[in-house]
Amino acid sequence: MTAFLSVENLSVRFETKDGPFLAVDDVSLELARGEILALVGESGSGKSMTSLAMMRLLPETATATGDILIDGVDVLALGRRAMEDVRGARVGMIFQEPMTSLNPVLTIARQMTEGLVRHRRISRGEAAVRALATLTDVGIPEPDRVMRQYPHQLSGGMRQRVMIAAALTLDPGVLIADEPTTALDVTVQAQVLDLLVDLKNRLGSGILLITHDIGVVAETADRVAVMRAGRIVETGNVEAVLSAPQHPYTKGLLASHLTLDRVMTKRGSRPPRLTEKAGAV
Amino acid sequence: MSVVLEAKRKRRGWRVPWNVALGLGLAAIVLAAALLSSWIAPFDPTRMAVGPRLAGPSAKFLFGTDEFGRDLFSRVLTGARLSLGIGFCAVVSGLAVGGLVGLVAAFAGRLIEAVLLRVIDVLYSFPDTLIALALVAFLGPGIVNATIAIAISLVPFYARVAYGLAAAERAKPYIEAARLAGINSGRLVRVHVMPNIGQSLIVMATLGFSSAILSAAGLSFLGLGVQPPSPEWGAILASGRNYITKAPWILIFPGLAICLTVLSFNLIGDSLRDLADPRRKRTS
Amino acid sequence: MIRLIAKRLTAAFATVLAVILLSGVLVHVVPGDPVTAMMAQSVTATPEAMDEMRSRLGLDLPVWMQVGRYALNALSGDLGTTIRGNEPVARLLLERLPNTFMLAVAGLGIALLLGIPLGFIAAVNRGTAADAAVMIVAVLGVSIPGFWLGLVLIQVFSLHLRWLPVAGTDFRNLILPAFTLGLTYCALVARMTRSALVEILAEDYIRTARARGLREHQVLIVHALRPALISIVTVVGLVFAYLMGGQVIVENVFSWNGIGRLAVQAMLQRDYPMIQGFIVIFATSVVVVSMSLDILYGILDPRMRQR
Repeated sequence: MTAFLSVENLSVRFETKDGPFLAVDDVSLELARGEILALVGESGSGKSMTSLAMMRLLPETATATGDILIDGVDVLALGRRAMEDVRGARVGMIFQEPMTSLNPVLTIARQMTEGLVRHRRISRGEAAVRALATLTDVGIPEPDRVMRQYPHQLSGGMRQRVMIAAALTLDPGVLIADEPTTALDVTVQAQVLDLLVDLKNRLGSGILLITHDIGVVAETADRVAVMRAGRIVETGNVEAVLSAPQHPYTKGLLASHLTLDRVMTKRGSRPPRLTEKAGAV
Repeated sequence: MSVVLEAKRKRRGWRVPWNVALGLGLAAIVLAAALLSSWIAPFDPTRMAVGPRLAGPSAKFLFGTDEFGRDLFSRVLTGARLSLGIGFCAVVSGLAVGGLVGLVAAFAGRLIEAVLLRVIDVLYSFPDTLIALALVAFLGPGIVNATIAIAISLVPFYARVAYGLAAAERAKPYIEAARLAGINSGRLVRVHVMPNIGQSLIVMATLGFSSAILSAAGLSFLGLGVQPPSPEWGAILASGRNYITKAPWILIFPGLAICLTVLSFNLIGDSLRDLADPRRKRTS
Repeated sequence: MIRLIAKRLTAAFATVLAVILLSGVLVHVVPGDPVTAMMAQSVTATPEAMDEMRSRLGLDLPVWMQVGRYALNALSGDLGTTIRGNEPVARLLLERLPNTFMLAVAGLGIALLLGIPLGFIAAVNRGTAADAAVMIVAVLGVSIPGFWLGLVLIQVFSLHLRWLPVAGTDFRNLILPAFTLGLTYCALVARMTRSALVEILAEDYIRTARARGLREHQVLIVHALRPALISIVTVVGLVFAYLMGGQVIVENVFSWNGIGRLAVQAMLQRDYPMIQGFIVIFATSVVVVSMSLDILYGILDPRMRQR
């Protein structure tokens, strides 16, 4: 497998009042199309900063050094406008809070199509056709009605599906999902994770899944990188890492997870997939 | 490099922001002018014909003379005393009454709270200068009536601020504890609430100061406030209005005096408000 | 939506009624006899004339009846007659109201056209020299009295450069007073725009828009400015009220033939019915405008529209 996304020696540094602070310390990782890499760690371990560095969406007080190659392009070397061309088109991103991540005063249609209009230079009408198809793809019932609605009219699970669909309209090689299920109900969590796995299999995108939940890792990821205090302490195949963790931190993480038995028995033990009904979530 | 800068900053300690420094500096100048005007003013501000009529600024008449040959510098200096005096009296009485209304609204029960709040909100939606104008129209012109009118015009603002602070305080557990201990509302407010919100109220008082001074100048300019020949800044502008083409200094100096005074209190008030309200500080 | 409109209408009516009662009471809380005060400047202040006026104004009735009568008359459009010419107050004020509105709208337009871009520049360049410069302009703006700015503008543009006339009511005469008001109140608009935008720029959906690869100007204008403008609609009513208040003085500086000038003349002559009428008309205008803006907000914000 050739890596679509590769990160080498990435460091992210903040200038604070008490001096410089290293949020990400010499991180390297690779992700190919068609696989899910989970970046796992507790809050403050630097996993979100790693992903924001890839999108060049870090806060202004932060500086990133190292190499980030997306589809062969060195992202950190790009100018602002060139970076805007990469964002969305080659790498998409969805965030933790579906409630606040969609613009409350714009219709779903507008937010679904603006990326297409911007990157593909097609008309709004053509973009709408593609957006409708994508909404159907992610399992949204009555997509033409949803297109006319505003975010506050949708449930949390539906909004996260819309977020995913909006990122997928441009068919990016990599999708970065930053804690995509943390803010959702447990039953909806499972559906959204299923959707991500399904999309990986059907569309062949690579997914970088950022989570603090080792259960989520076990259910969805192919490979896992464990992060702590800005460094990657352990990386490898999910089965290998979870069944025989090498690093004491990983062991601690696993021990603290309440559903350890579920982790060990792994896939296939989940409740059957629910078909979502309109307004059910 | 950044380490070196850090060290420097630490040695100097807490630095006063430029806007506070400018505000305090200007306020000090105006205050000094007001307090010392009787001594520094070279001439009697109301004495006519101390010099030629409408003479331009010179070494003898720093700001020139007006249409009656009065010394404009002496008049503007003395005007500071009038403006600050009116502002101070209006703010203190407005704050006392408004603060009381706000506290009563917060602690005197639901019905009184609802009625008072509604009235405060209606009055608050009208510009304070206009309230002062309407009142002075009924009270009649003059410095005392203008001060009373301006004081009343500030009441809705202070009442609203005091209510907000008191209502926030009311929600705190120690108030509930004091209530359960059988302390009545009046004593509760005096002993427990006042010391806690007093400081914030005084901060808010500075915000009313600049609008009081603007109102006073506006009323006097219209002939409804301080009457000529008193050298109130607005009154100087009103009486010198017809001569400003020939003698622009009559327009410039009293106007600048108003602007700088109001500016100084706005600068101080804004930064105090940011200090007093951490939520605002974060977003602005 | 209909409930929102009904609620706003009720609140507006209650406010106007409160103001009518308040201005009816105002005459009676003044220390001393209002007739003596009103007639003080009149040469014809004979005892008979004063009695005649007392009964004409209904001042011989108990206070609560007077206030009640004033309120009922006011609600049916009768605001009494002036002391001087015995002319209907309502007609005099309504005749001049269009002039006042024309100036207020022009002033508000200038304040918005200047204030929103200034606030936008400050918010987008937050913490830089541009931001500091805009904030200095803003604090200066709220510190300069409108009547003085008006006098300065007359001095420079009418008398010195001779570009514009000093007084009158045609279009060219509108320019200077409108700019006086616009410049004074654009500071307020700039501050509100800045703080609304600073809050919105920190929202998650701005990051989402950037992650979609939109051009920065698209992010700022479509995703940030649009919601900011919707929230600004709610405070424009307040700006309008303050601008109308400042306009009372500015109309006198420019001899603009609006209700503010009429009111100040009445105040100087202590023509109480006229002053009361002015308060009622002013309050009604402000209330109607702010109610319309509230309803407009309900239409513009999709979150409100559903209710």
